[in-house]
Amino acid sequence: MDDMMLLTFLATLVGAAWRLATPLIFASIGEVFSERAGVLNIGLEGTMLVGAFCGFAAASATGNIPLGLLAGVAGGMLFGLVFAFFTITIKADQIVVGAALNLLGMGLTAFLFRTYYVSTGKGIDIAQPVHIPWLSDLPFLGEAFFRQNLIVYSTILAAILATLVLYRTSFGLTLRAVGEHPKAVDVAGRSVPGYRYAAVLVGTGFAGLGGAFLTLGHSNQFVEGMTSGRGFIALAVVVFARWSPIGAFFVSLLFGLFYALQLMLQAQASIVVPYQVLQALPYIMTIITLVVFRGKGAAPSKLGQPYEMR
Amino acid sequence: MAEINQGVRETVNSQATHAFTHTLSRAAISALTPIAAVLVALAFGAALLSLNGFNGSDVVTVMVFGSFQDMRSVGEILLKATPLILIGAGLCVAFRCSIWNIGAEGQLYVGAIAATLVGTSIDGLSVWVHAPLVMLAGALAGAAWAGIAGYLKVRFQASEIVTTIMLNYIALILTSYLVTGPMRDASAAYPQSARLVREAWTPRLVTDLRLHIGILVALVLAVGLYIFLRRSSRGFALRVVGLNPHAARYAGMNVARNVMIAICISGAMAGLAGAFEVAGVTRRLYQNISPGYGFEGIAVALLAGNNPLAAILSGGLFATLRSGSEVLQITSQVPQVLVLVIQGIVILSVVAFAKLRDVLRIVA
Amino acid sequence: MITEISRRLLLASTLGMALTGMLRLDVAHAEDFKMGLLVPGSVSEEGWNRIGYNALKGVEEQLGAKISYVELQQNPASFEKAFRDYASQGYKVILGHGFEFQDAARDVALDYPDTYFLISSSAIHEGNVIGLNTDTSQPFYLMGVIAAKMGGKAGLVGGMEIPPIQQAFTGFKNGAKSINPDFPISEAYIGNFTDTTAAKEAALSMISQGADFVVPNASGATVGGYQAIAESGPDVRSFSIFSDFTEVAPNNILGLYVADYAQGVVEVVRAIKDGHPPAANVVFGLKDPKVISFTFRDDGPVTVPQDIRAEVKAISDKIAAGEIKTGAE
Repeated sequence: MDDMMLLTFLATLVGAAWRLATPLIFASIGEVFSERAGVLNIGLEGTMLVGAFCGFAAASATGNIPLGLLAGVAGGMLFGLVFAFFTITIKADQIVVGAALNLLGMGLTAFLFRTYYVSTGKGIDIAQPVHIPWLSDLPFLGEAFFRQNLIVYSTILAAILATLVLYRTSFGLTLRAVGEHPKAVDVAGRSVPGYRYAAVLVGTGFAGLGGAFLTLGHSNQFVEGMTSGRGFIALAVVVFARWSPIGAFFVSLLFGLFYALQLMLQAQASIVVPYQVLQALPYIMTIITLVVFRGKGAAPSKLGQPYEMR
Repeated sequence: MAEINQGVRETVNSQATHAFTHTLSRAAISALTPIAAVLVALAFGAALLSLNGFNGSDVVTVMVFGSFQDMRSVGEILLKATPLILIGAGLCVAFRCSIWNIGAEGQLYVGAIAATLVGTSIDGLSVWVHAPLVMLAGALAGAAWAGIAGYLKVRFQASEIVTTIMLNYIALILTSYLVTGPMRDASAAYPQSARLVREAWTPRLVTDLRLHIGILVALVLAVGLYIFLRRSSRGFALRVVGLNPHAARYAGMNVARNVMIAICISGAMAGLAGAFEVAGVTRRLYQNISPGYGFEGIAVALLAGNNPLAAILSGGLFATLRSGSEVLQITSQVPQVLVLVIQGIVILSVVAFAKLRDVLRIVA
Repeated sequence: MITEISRRLLLASTLGMALTGMLRLDVAHAEDFKMGLLVPGSVSEEGWNRIGYNALKGVEEQLGAKISYVELQQNPASFEKAFRDYASQGYKVILGHGFEFQDAARDVALDYPDTYFLISSSAIHEGNVIGLNTDTSQPFYLMGVIAAKMGGKAGLVGGMEIPPIQQAFTGFKNGAKSINPDFPISEAYIGNFTDTTAAKEAALSMISQGADFVVPNASGATVGGYQAIAESGPDVRSFSIFSDFTEVAPNNILGLYVADYAQGVVEVVRAIKDGHPPAANVVFGLKDPKVISFTFRDDGPVTVPQDIRAEVKAISDKIAAGEIKTGAE
């Protein structure tokens, strides 16, 4: 590859990585909220599918993308409400309920899609890339950073907002305390279950948004199981990112980068490494990170535990 | 210290210390919970069908009973039940020890890979040696794959939930690489391994049916794990670690060793299930050797209340529903994915009823 | 006493339900001509599985057969059971839609000599197991010719590395090389048939690296590829394959390759119904205009010039006559 080719390759790679990272960024930032409050939601995969389906259904009925995104978020939160009810009110095990919601999300979306959309091969109009004067026309940099749609750009906003809320507001402070010292929060007269409900709803709303991006911001159709494991990867992102929203943003980008690289290297006839090696790399890296960064800024201490009021 | 140990012992062995009649009524309530949960899930499925223009009663008539048509269809249900019982019973042990092994699917795949290697690379052994060898290879590989997550947990406190999910993906990608690459049968058009040599095949139970002796192995092992958990001191230690690792440590138990044992048992069972799928059913390794048995096994264990003996029943039930959903699609064109919805509702109902039971007990 | 009665009632009602369950399966009368279909994925998506479903509907509409299908999600362990389920219920023809069904059909066929087992994408002919194959390398060869004539670099996005996809891509490469032996072609597989997002990104990356003639072939995920093409402007050309995707990429699609596999299957099933089953495995190709249609668009912004069309027609005739082998490695 000569230099020009390499630059084009890199520019495309970064652009693709960001788009592929977008659903992961939303879902993992949401899960950071949830886990910071002590609630581990492994039902993200099912929640994202619900978001993708609701977004698709709303947008294909109204032709309105913002409305579709809203429906995706609402669908995710509705699913989150079920999760919250079982894990916080009933105090059932979070893993068990999460596993059930994955089955439910996969089954319900596929069932409804097949029942109502079987004969419609036609898709919906998706969010178009915005053209930013001058920036979008820059050589290489334009391709890499400035030819995305608004949903992709909003990931930056989401990461910044999430950080501000989590570290600079009393809501965020209390939410984190709920995951570390729920008793102290309780004693201070604030409702631990209330904060956990809020955290779960924020988390699943984001997961729904991540799912809705797939149907409204990238592909124009719903396809069964189209999240293809992204909900599980988002869980890994959160751990990898040490429960920080900014970290979740960059780790998601890293995963997106590997995914894009894997697709692009296949098209290069000269590369001999089996593409499966590249496919497996993000998963292996996650495990290595768990080992290397152990103990530093570790998990919320009450992660996964129901809170018993005394 | 002694008090804590005492407390734990009481919780764990409460059934033994209470009066016989009390135990009996509790057992009845325990048995009612899963039955009620299944009924709720079926009702939900029926409602879902009716609301969407299908015949709601099909859920019961076809999904539950429709697949019992003749010996062959019963054989097919048992064939599906085999991996579910194996994985479910194994996961009961892990879950009892509070190890959230979500990686049975990956452990199944690794077991299938190992079984294929042993079943294709060696020739000339007697079936009495080769067939068990294949099963052993599958179980060991599954245990080793789960052992990675166990080691990372006890040595580095890495969450097994995350590591087992990652190991699932790695095992699936590894399988894809092997059947399209080094293990591919060059003469076949489809990406698949060579056929296992005949001596490596799991013997069939009845010549005409595909049902193999794996179902018997699954039943024996499920009973064995039940006895292990209930009657052996190791089983007791696993349960104590699961209830309260700090108490277990105070009581002088080696938490790390118990965690390793529990997760490796569950991995071995999943690996064995993988070995049976290649050696007993498909005879070759494919990319899609499992339709998600590893994930369904989680639901099987939960419905069984983490009791390996009950996993036989819940595994059988899930296999029936899965078979029934195929029949339902053939007869009424109801999307097969309905079975996922029903499984999800079963789990949620179990959780809800267990809670209800606790509330009622407190009120009473 | 009461418990005994209620137990019996429960048992009786259970049996009753079980019986109705069994009866429901036998509602269709024995004399009905019945055809079953096994597909390796969901028929709700445009693509391979829908094609099999359309074939089944064709048989229902044109031959008045009772039909049924089952989706098996590519799990080989369930294939044999599905074949047996249909065969034991008196289905006369069972279409296994994919070469992966071949082994299972062979095993079951021995027990059901009166049932015909048709296998898509297969060249088998053993008694009542008959392979049906659309030689996709032929139309893809023509696409390769057009790509080499009109474009500078081609990109092919596949689902999984399996024979029907490889066969098509081999035809494309052979066609392109027949015009220009050095014509650059890049190829990538997304590793599944559901991830539309990955298919789209794979196509986008090829286009950014200079590909100006891109053809996606990934079943349900195919549509993602056409979307990438549509978003990349009218300089990127493509061909619509299997289904009509012109609505997705109206400015890019030069023409359509549509296989009316359904019609091919209907003819084969009609022959079976009339008592004249095929004597060899069936291969549909450019010689069967009823099955394979390869057409150019005239309403798009870019069209294939007349001289190239004439040349493609000549090549197509040669392929139909068997003078050009399109699928050779």
